Amino acid sequence: MEGVNVSTHPEIPGEPTQTSTALLEKATAAIQGFGPVNKIHQHLCAFHFYGHDMTRQVEAHHFCGHQNEEFRQCLIYDRPDDDGRLIGLEYLVSEELFLTLPDEEKRFWHSHEFEVKSGVLFMPGVPGPIQRQDLEKVAKTYGKVFHFWQVDRGDTLPLGIPQVMMALTREGQLYQNLARDVERRYNVSFEKESENRAYMTGPAHGIHPMANGGGRGLQTVLREVECKPVGVDHSAARVFV
Amino acid sequence: MAAAAEQGGEKIPPGKPMSMEQHMLDKGAQMLQSLKPVKQMNQHICTFALYSHDMTRQIETHHFVTRLNQDFLQCAVYDSDDSSARLIGVEYIVSDKIFESLPLDEQKLWHSHAYEIKSGLLVNPRVPEMVVRPELENLAKTYGKFWCTWQTDRGDKLPMGPPVLMMSPQAVNMGMVNPDLIVKRDDKYNISSEALKNARIEIPEPEWINPQADYWKQHGVGFFVDIEATEMKKIVPFP
Repeated sequence: MEGVNVSTHPEIPGEPTQTSTALLEKATAAIQGFGPVNKIHQHLCAFHFYGHDMTRQVEAHHFCGHQNEEFRQCLIYDRPDDDGRLIGLEYLVSEELFLTLPDEEKRFWHSHEFEVKSGVLFMPGVPGPIQRQDLEKVAKTYGKVFHFWQVDRGDTLPLGIPQVMMALTREGQLYQNLARDVERRYNVSFEKESENRAYMTGPAHGIHPMANGGGRGLQTVLREVECKPVGVDHSAARVFV
Repeated sequence: MAAAAEQGGEKIPPGKPMSMEQHMLDKGAQMLQSLKPVKQMNQHICTFALYSHDMTRQIETHHFVTRLNQDFLQCAVYDSDDSSARLIGVEYIVSDKIFESLPLDEQKLWHSHAYEIKSGLLVNPRVPEMVVRPELENLAKTYGKFWCTWQTDRGDKLPMGPPVLMMSPQAVNMGMVNPDLIVKRDDKYNISSEALKNARIEIPEPEWINPQADYWKQHGVGFFVDIEATEMKKIVPFP
């Protein structure tokens, strides 16, 4: 089964960065502190599809940091390159933390067991035995992903509203051309790796029935609301400082 | 700076501290992987944002910014600048040229930056003002789109609910930032927004700010994203 888009990386409109701007930013990069981002220690490659449309699949490069043993927060890029587009983010929680969520909230989270055990979720550049030590934990976690930039439909800018994304939960969902493309680029074999991961287990209590959309698709919808505080005079003239 | 991770004695997020084993795994991965996109972040911006559907809720934000070209920046947004900071969302910043090319409906989701820069609310911690001045002049003409995915300001221990659209401070009642928040931020960095405001008088005003941006100013409405159950278009069964 073929998917349409393999690693689309649309050109962003605009001029190339000016030298003076680049130099200024070299200075800020050298002077400032980057504490939160320095915690990002891990690159994970996986696939997401849209919560309402399994036929639209996106290669997702996660750059993750631990808040603690049970919680990771990840930035998602379309490519793991210098000019990767920041297309979304994901939070990963342990099964224990997941079970504390209200049922309504659980729907927005997906299980990782299949992704890990199928070999499709992997850590580029890290030898199998080392990555398995971490991935055997990931197999028991749940994730919540939003994408803000629909690169798979060729958007050159982050248009529209956030999209809830889902992850692979069974054989046959992932487009084979997308899988082969990743395997080729990273010189990995999902099938081989899957054999090595046969020993891993998913959540101790099994995959929660409310996870993965509670079995349904999920779609985001935009709604206008009267903004608080209400009744404030909106006709105030624009005043610059 | 463990205090930053706690609110009212509760840890946000909850969870066991990292094991030695996990630390080692992380270090190992870090040595073997290049983490290129993250290394491209070259600016830290501290500013304030307001919830578009409830502008009484205002937060201090920390943007870690990557420039992709002269007209486009992408930011990972955190709720503080220490290493325990929570990732609370993503903001995209575009030049006025790009903004004008967006469809009207899209423009409604964006906010302007001129006021927060001119008023001294937006700062680059640790960078001398004159060094960053050219960047501020550039940013003053840009528009941003900021989705918040974790509402730590209301005490959410884990990221709950749909992403929420944020707006920027503006010079009208509802868009003014609570002075207490500003004082707290200024004290932390030993700066004065008021002094910066005076220094920035020279920064040119944009000739025009598109009225579709900061949509609430003309229309009194904010935006909310709902997540609705629907039939998923499938290839094989799900889940």
